[in-house]
Amino acid sequence: MNSSLTPKSLFRRFISILANLKLAIALLLAIAVISITGTVIEQAETLTFYQQNYPESPALYGFLTWKVIVAWGFNHVYSTWWYLSLLILFGSSLTACTFTRQLPALKAARKWKYYQKPKQFEKLALSAELERGSIKSLVDLLKQKKYKVWQQDNALYARKGIIGRIGPIVVHLGMLIVLVGGMWGIFTGFFAQEMIASGNTFKIQNIIESGPFSSPQIPDDWSVKVNRFWIDYTNNGDIDQFYSDLSVIDDGGAELKRETIYVNHPLRYDGVTLYQTNWSIAAVRVQLNNSPVFQIPVAKLDTLNAGNIWGTWIPTKPDMSSGVSMLIKDLQGTALIYNQQGELTSAIRISQSVEIDGIKIKLLDIIGSTGLQIKADPGVPIVYTGFALLMIGVVMSYFSHSQVWALEQNNSFYFGAKTNRAQVSFEREMLGVIEDLSARESTNIAEPSTSLV
Amino acid sequence: MDLIALESLLDNTSFGVLLVTMLIYWGGAAFPNLPYLATLGSIGMAIANLCMATLLASRWLEAGYFPLSNLYESLFFLGWGITTIHFIAERMSRSRLVGVVTSPVAMGITAFAALSLPVEMQESAPLVPALKSNWLMMHVSVMMLSYSTLMVGSAIAIGFLIITRGQKVELKGSSVGTGSFRDRVKQKTVQPTPENVYPSNSNSGTTAVLDLPQTETVTLSPERLSLADTLDNISYRVIGLGFPLLTIGIIAGGVWANEAWGSYWSWDPKETWAFITWLVFAAYLHARITRGWQGRKPAILAAIGFVVVWVCYLGVNLLGQGLHSYGWFL
Repeated sequence: MNSSLTPKSLFRRFISILANLKLAIALLLAIAVISITGTVIEQAETLTFYQQNYPESPALYGFLTWKVIVAWGFNHVYSTWWYLSLLILFGSSLTACTFTRQLPALKAARKWKYYQKPKQFEKLALSAELERGSIKSLVDLLKQKKYKVWQQDNALYARKGIIGRIGPIVVHLGMLIVLVGGMWGIFTGFFAQEMIASGNTFKIQNIIESGPFSSPQIPDDWSVKVNRFWIDYTNNGDIDQFYSDLSVIDDGGAELKRETIYVNHPLRYDGVTLYQTNWSIAAVRVQLNNSPVFQIPVAKLDTLNAGNIWGTWIPTKPDMSSGVSMLIKDLQGTALIYNQQGELTSAIRISQSVEIDGIKIKLLDIIGSTGLQIKADPGVPIVYTGFALLMIGVVMSYFSHSQVWALEQNNSFYFGAKTNRAQVSFEREMLGVIEDLSARESTNIAEPSTSLV
Repeated sequence: MDLIALESLLDNTSFGVLLVTMLIYWGGAAFPNLPYLATLGSIGMAIANLCMATLLASRWLEAGYFPLSNLYESLFFLGWGITTIHFIAERMSRSRLVGVVTSPVAMGITAFAALSLPVEMQESAPLVPALKSNWLMMHVSVMMLSYSTLMVGSAIAIGFLIITRGQKVELKGSSVGTGSFRDRVKQKTVQPTPENVYPSNSNSGTTAVLDLPQTETVTLSPERLSLADTLDNISYRVIGLGFPLLTIGIIAGGVWANEAWGSYWSWDPKETWAFITWLVFAAYLHARITRGWQGRKPAILAAIGFVVVWVCYLGVNLLGQGLHSYGWFL
């Protein structure tokens, strides 16, 4: 039977292809190139957007039409099956490489050998045959330079920086853990957005994304009350910070936790995190003459990206045959009043009033609403573990694994050294060692040698 | 003294000093026999480095937060980083060729910041809410340091490509250590000279070489690295320093984003380009240990990396979308 066709040998062959460095480099570059497309083509827009910007004729570059984009998923590159497959292939390549290359290389580095023959030194670039030199003084010199030294009779081996052989393994492990954690998060997490007016209570409902196993994460026995939402402004009117005073309350209405959140400072409860991300204006409270207080909702106006403006219409006659428009652009407490003809009549502040058509309109309050992003991602602890390993691993990988051999034989002293990364600094260090070695020996044996002659 | 006047003096000075420094380094490369040029070049770099450090310190004092809030400040931070890494690379290599490639990069950055940025973009601006975090200092400063380190490393790789154009080069330095072995071609061309056969101080009585007829009749002596080897290895070491910084910077950004917005990765264009940069340099580091891909190929990847870092740093913000579009060019 042909041995190359057994499942085991096929598997071996598959692994060795997967562990091939050229494949790894090709994968790294392929992921890089494909990732660029997602930064050039707009992501997650509406179908009409692509139809307008990537028409069928004239097609961009002759082929890039909205049909191509939608069919291949270039409108959501990073979640297409082919992008995720590339990432999985990348993860497999990492794993295969760790087992077939890195671990054996580490094992080989730990199972060093003394050089017992002068010929073994010849292959090393940094090697020398010295007339003077002894293992004893070399041991001192290398120990000063923090090398770990072993010696046996007339041979010496020393090394430093084996951490640099472990580093890449830790990096690969970290990458794998990040990939696994990311997938775990996709399967078990959820992501929601809510826009809630100051004073209202809500349950998490507007879920944008959720994994197939995310239901245990979505809270059903508690809700959140927005006690107050406000914005602090700097002296020249720029936004300084957004704040939401939130309470977590159970079904009976009892408060379980209360915290004021702002950007960079979320609220965490029961594995769910609420982030301050957005804001809007929900309503104005006005009084007409001595009427009861009306809370009138406002709507955001389309300004074609020229800034945020909210507006509403306030009737000034009971039959609503006439009224004024009120425009608000922020939560600093000022509103602009436009009359029936569209002319600006006045700007009023909260608790001020203005008289129009014989009716006194009093602005009592502008109610803001807070934009919250709500998320649970059980994959985060795994991803953070991977992050930690990655950071430790890349730092470890900077160290150069340096090795030194020496042999005393037939009145000659052979010296050889190599390192895997820092060739330039290592060459300088080793030439220094050779020099020091000769200097030491000449001072040590200066007298005996002259007396011998 | 008025801080704003001091700042505008300092930015113009750093540009002027770097321009002169660049000419000195280039002159030194063209006429290697002229004395003092190497020292003068290093002094120029040091002055520019201190000018930019003072400029940033003054900004910090003026605004009260770490000066990385707009393009002007971030360009000077980048320039400061490049001149700092220049000293590390120069010390490692003891070669003045490093300055030949680093000084034009630093000069170009200060020229752009001091001369072509409109005045309103040079002014210190208040931080938007999202940037008010200690993570700003951690994430942005590490990212900027990694950009400057990678730029210096890949600029040296470009220098290496220019020096070795039309040659085949065996690489020294990679995590498997392929460059540590003796160059066979060179070894055979060494002709045994009387000096080689008979060690110089023959009165010591050591005749070990002649006692061992089976070995070559050449005393083993260290094979030194060539200039191209040195440049290549320094480029590798500097990129090797930039890569951990980039990794840590990206991760710090991810952790910050998760704490602030609830997602450690959102494929925002800037994030994606940082990831692309990471992939390109990861490919570079792996290319160095691949048989058949050694020589000039990894250096070409590093040169591509130089462009990718620039796209990541500036190009993405020209698109003007995504999480990183506020705070201008961060």
